[in-house]
Amino acid sequence: MKHTNREVQSTFCAISTTSSLENKTGSWRFAKPVFIDRLAPCNQQCPAGEDIASIMYLAGQGRFEDAWKLIMQANPFPAIMGRVCYHNCETKCNRSNLDNSIAINIVERFIGDYALEHNLKILPQIPDQNQHVAIIGAGPAGLTAAYDLRLKGYQVTVFDANDQPGGLMRYGIPPYRLPNQIIEGEISRLYDIGVLFKQRTYIKDKSDWDRLEHDFNSIFISIGASRMVDPDLKGNSLKRIYHSLSFLKEINQGKRPDIGDKTIIIGGGNSAIDCARVSRRLGAKVTLIYRRTITEMPAYMEEIEMAQTEGVEFIFLAAPEEFLGTDRVKKIKVMKMKQGQPDESGRLQSIPTEETFEINCTSVIISIGETVNTEDLPSFLAFENNSLKTDSNGSTSHAQYFAGGDLIQQPHTVTHAIASGKRAGLAIDQYLSLSNNKHESSKTISFLHKKSPVNEVISYNQLNPFYFINKSRTNSHKISLNERINTFKEVFMSSSQKDVIEESQRCFVCGTCTECGNCYVFCPDFSIKKHPSGFGYHIDLDYCKGCGICVKECPRGAMQMEFAE
Amino acid sequence: MIKVLTGNQAVAYGIRLSDVQVIPVYPITPQTTIIETLADMKADGTGDFEYIRVESEHSAMAACIGASMGGVRTVTATCGQGLFLMHEMLHYATGSRTPVVLVNVNRAAAAPWNIWNDQTDSVSQRETGWIQLYCENNQEVLDSTIMAFKIAETVRLPTMIILDAFFLSHTSEPVEVPLINDVRKFLPSYDPQEMWLDPDNPKTFNSISMNNVYMEFRWNIQRDMERAKQVIDKTHEEFETIFGRLYHQVEGIHLDDANIVIIATGTVASTCRVAIDNLRAAGHKVGMIKIKTLRPFPAEEIIAALRGIKKIAVIDRNFSPGSQGVWAQEIRSVINDLSDNERPQVFGYIAGLGGRDINLKTIEEIYKQTAKNEKPEDRDIWVGVKYVLS
Repeated sequence: MKHTNREVQSTFCAISTTSSLENKTGSWRFAKPVFIDRLAPCNQQCPAGEDIASIMYLAGQGRFEDAWKLIMQANPFPAIMGRVCYHNCETKCNRSNLDNSIAINIVERFIGDYALEHNLKILPQIPDQNQHVAIIGAGPAGLTAAYDLRLKGYQVTVFDANDQPGGLMRYGIPPYRLPNQIIEGEISRLYDIGVLFKQRTYIKDKSDWDRLEHDFNSIFISIGASRMVDPDLKGNSLKRIYHSLSFLKEINQGKRPDIGDKTIIIGGGNSAIDCARVSRRLGAKVTLIYRRTITEMPAYMEEIEMAQTEGVEFIFLAAPEEFLGTDRVKKIKVMKMKQGQPDESGRLQSIPTEETFEINCTSVIISIGETVNTEDLPSFLAFENNSLKTDSNGSTSHAQYFAGGDLIQQPHTVTHAIASGKRAGLAIDQYLSLSNNKHESSKTISFLHKKSPVNEVISYNQLNPFYFINKSRTNSHKISLNERINTFKEVFMSSSQKDVIEESQRCFVCGTCTECGNCYVFCPDFSIKKHPSGFGYHIDLDYCKGCGICVKECPRGAMQMEFAE
Repeated sequence: MIKVLTGNQAVAYGIRLSDVQVIPVYPITPQTTIIETLADMKADGTGDFEYIRVESEHSAMAACIGASMGGVRTVTATCGQGLFLMHEMLHYATGSRTPVVLVNVNRAAAAPWNIWNDQTDSVSQRETGWIQLYCENNQEVLDSTIMAFKIAETVRLPTMIILDAFFLSHTSEPVEVPLINDVRKFLPSYDPQEMWLDPDNPKTFNSISMNNVYMEFRWNIQRDMERAKQVIDKTHEEFETIFGRLYHQVEGIHLDDANIVIIATGTVASTCRVAIDNLRAAGHKVGMIKIKTLRPFPAEEIIAALRGIKKIAVIDRNFSPGSQGVWAQEIRSVINDLSDNERPQVFGYIAGLGGRDINLKTIEEIYKQTAKNEKPEDRDIWVGVKYVLS
């Protein structure tokens, strides 16, 4: 073969101009990937059922109005909850395995405030029905039920004994935690959509209930727990012994009860802390006594710490024995306690020692709990454990009656109250639909293309954290200590939009496809494509070989392999 | 313009002049200063190319093939273990007919670890179908780098330029760096013609080829390897026309009256030139041949050059265990064509493995031993190896 010119019958090298689509490599598959929705732990934790993961995603995109609408589907008071919710969602946040949990509460507050500033509205989409619902008690449970049912087209009337609606949100929580104009702004939406309010109306006699039964197709009772628990000690009729409920109500009405310059708070819950911090702002020295230790205190740790910073003195393992004084209380006799075995709640019991001591004071505020005032309620409704008995949807022993909030057996938080209002809204709607003609149910808005949900809370090891860069959580900012102690100005300042967007973008959006495109980028067979509807991705099963790379590389665990065939 | 450059710098200068568009890189001693110089050029803007750091030599060659299929001129550099790691991809470059250029700095094979000059790495890639050109000095390195692109793109076979570890890669020599305009006259920009991934004319390259076509594709490679012999000669001539330096695939010196011809490659050839001058001055009838190409092996030139020569001493800075030195093997195989009375006695010497020095004294020893014996003692004679008596 010397420098030959002989030609051979073939192309220069292997070249093909026909399509490789003929080769349906999907036939090689023994497993296939599917897009699924796993339950984000924050979503699971939220008693009100907010789709927190999706809300964070929308906020991270700067889509605050959409984020607000999504919150409103579960909770009509985001500006309020962004201030007072105990945000258990944050404790379960998967991001804490990487760096810190997402500051969900801060983001919710921003979204709520944004909606108020921009006067955002949601209008009823369903034409008015000729069915009437009565809500008794304008606290968070009643107002949530009212809002939900009004949007479904029902005629809703709210009856409330106080001057203004809001329940404990308005009358129990001090303004430095929840300013009045926030409550006004959030509740005004109910007025805007046509909820009728009858304030200063106390429903309590049989004739009141009979008339309601006649005028309304369904009744939702959410009167809360308004009977104050009294320790029943010697000397409890002395002047300047206050109860937290009435004390805080006066504060929220703009009054300034006279507590002198040294007040003692009895109790360990959030109300006790509220009373303590309010008292500091009234210029008093404050000592809080609690029968157990700080570990057993039911109050939120954040609140306890802020009280300590504001100068509240804490005395633990101390129970009141007797109030001393003539006319006004001047001293409290306190029994020293010691810790014993755990009780049914799991907390260590407090056992009296024989030692007592005395503390001087000019006033006492008792905050050891509230119970339900059963006298005002229809006698035919069943009670259990000092709560109105309901099923998980809020139905009572009587078909027409539903209940929620602190009145029923559930944790006494605003969040749980809102959740019970929402559940009752669904239950009442179903009850009324069954007894009359069906109407179209309100559509829930979906902002992210939700695939088939899988009933499983997603854990950190189901994510692919390679795609997330470490970044610390945003900080909240407080006003100066001086301002805190001397005014009722709101303690926490607003966050900037920039900080909120950055914080929201830290959210993994666990278990929900955000169309980040990782699966599309990594698929070696070009078999993951944008869905023709424009929403989400879909797998081209003609060519997908089931290699599983997409599932592995999904940052948020929104895919899994299925082996059945 | 004359600059004092190491062999590695000369490579980088050659690459920069050659309108290369994509350079995938992975470092290995003693090649690393090639890619470092290229990185500096990219950083200071004097070099205009995509510089892709990959995670291994295998990936570097894969990226070269991909880039070439994308329609651009591409090059990378490696040595020793790096070349071995690329081995699978070397075959692929040939079979896919991509005109990739590779600069290989001859380095010894591990184990044990040795980073110094040895030809085992490149000669053991003989079967991959790459054109292989060996250089004896830094000028030849720079010039051959430029020529490699032209040769590769003409015959569409990947081409390897080879230089000696440390003796060239890290040794400074004066080098004439050509002017860019002259290089442009010599080497136009890459034209992939139809052999690239054109989205407007979609094609699939290199898919399954059954036994009814595969052999024909391999035949094409051989045909173009044969054609490459003329192409290399022509390229050398064109180069001389523009730049004034002429290279040969086979260069014979003092062959007409030589009783013994020493055959060398790489820097050994350079040392040999001085050695034979010294020997001739002392009255010995000795000549030499420098071989530049291992593939395509210049059989005709070798046959013509060695016809009637009595003895040849082939110096192999490499070895094929279980056989012999590779240059000796190649030569022995082609001179079989000669008749018995025309065919030289072949003395095959193994020297300088792992960077052991081959100097004037070594070459003189080789000459003396060749002159002394009528026939070689063995198919492979190991020079300067210390024997351990068992």
